[in-house]
Amino acid sequence: MNAVLRETTMVAPLSVQGLHHAYEGNPVLAGIDLALEPGSVLGLIGRNGAGKSTLIRAMVGLLEPSEGKASVFGEPALRLSDATKGRLSYVPQQPEALAWLTAEQMLDYIGRFYPRWDRSFAKQLMQRWQIPQNRLLAKLSPGERQRVELIRALASQPDLLVLDEPAAALDPVARRELLREVAVRAGEFGTTVLFSTHIVSDLERVASDIAFVHEGRLILRSTVDDTKERFMRLWLPPRLSAAAPEIALSHRQHGDGSISLVVERDSEGQWPQASHLQGARIDPLGLEDLFVEIAE
Amino acid sequence: MDASLLTIQPASAEPIYRQIVEQLRRLIAGGQIAPGELLPSVRDVAGFHAINPMTVSRAYGMAESEGLLERLRGKGMVVAQVHRSTQTQAQRLGLLEPQLQALARQTTELELPAEPVLRRLSKLLGE
Repeated sequence: MNAVLRETTMVAPLSVQGLHHAYEGNPVLAGIDLALEPGSVLGLIGRNGAGKSTLIRAMVGLLEPSEGKASVFGEPALRLSDATKGRLSYVPQQPEALAWLTAEQMLDYIGRFYPRWDRSFAKQLMQRWQIPQNRLLAKLSPGERQRVELIRALASQPDLLVLDEPAAALDPVARRELLREVAVRAGEFGTTVLFSTHIVSDLERVASDIAFVHEGRLILRSTVDDTKERFMRLWLPPRLSAAAPEIALSHRQHGDGSISLVVERDSEGQWPQASHLQGARIDPLGLEDLFVEIAE
Repeated sequence: MDASLLTIQPASAEPIYRQIVEQLRRLIAGGQIAPGELLPSVRDVAGFHAINPMTVSRAYGMAESEGLLERLRGKGMVVAQVHRSTQTQAQRLGLLEPQLQALARQTTELELPAEPVLRRLSKLLGE
């Protein structure tokens, strides 16, 4: 049954084109094109204020961008059918909805709208994540509140899961559990996942793809593996600074005249000439270092 | 073999699929997992380490094409029936290639001539 479902839905679960947005004249998104492949897990990374949350909200149709198009499973994000809404779960950074209900009441109520709602999973996770069942959502701590929302999002067994900074409110054990859920669902049910985070190692575990957002633009979009293999940090001492390759993702001159650059393999997999010079240093870059280098 | 035998360092600059293949090479070369032994399923490895299953599949696929693993129909991946002794010297030397390249690179960076480095290495090897 699942296979049939998937064949008819090879259209991108999420896609945006030419997205621009501004808050009171301050540009937040400055022309973003992005599409997710079915079954991929895309980690969105960027500094605070880079535009991640705005981008996510525009992608799922909770915000009307000043310019550009957004679609969810091929439908305009701002006018989703109920059927498509039922396939999507979104967890905002600060959940506020239905605060006058208890966690148990909320899950019970919401569950009725989802054909694939997994009641026993919700119950089990409520216990494991120690959510007080009979307290009003409004009285829960922000962390508990976000955990309830994650339970809601997972229990509906969505085809598309969108999480805005899900790790912020979780302790390391719960975070690992969430990552495990995400990983296994992507593998087994082909769930497509978009999540933003500033914890790069979380992203490195489960993401198949990565997108760096910086100052409202997408400065890098690739698979996680490819990103790790394609970039290196090249350091050149002062006497070699003239040999610095012209094309580099970042270019930093240090006080002593030496230079650090983020360089990329060419189409044949070779590093730029300068990296073979005597005295040049070349170091592998983890994603976090890469991000710091190019986002500074 | 149990999934816990693998160690995953997500923050390493080395992609996770390469970390897995590298560890399989060593575990097999070192005899910690024997020919014919069943590997944990992709799901088990992905679940245990909370990593993307596609990464595990990719690692298994690569290990299979290297001849380290064999796919048994209906069972999963097992360690290939190749004995360590039947691996050629060139194959075993190949396992050291990344370390040798790193050593060569650092030697150049330190502007050291090859000779004292080789002398020291010979000594470490007990020759």
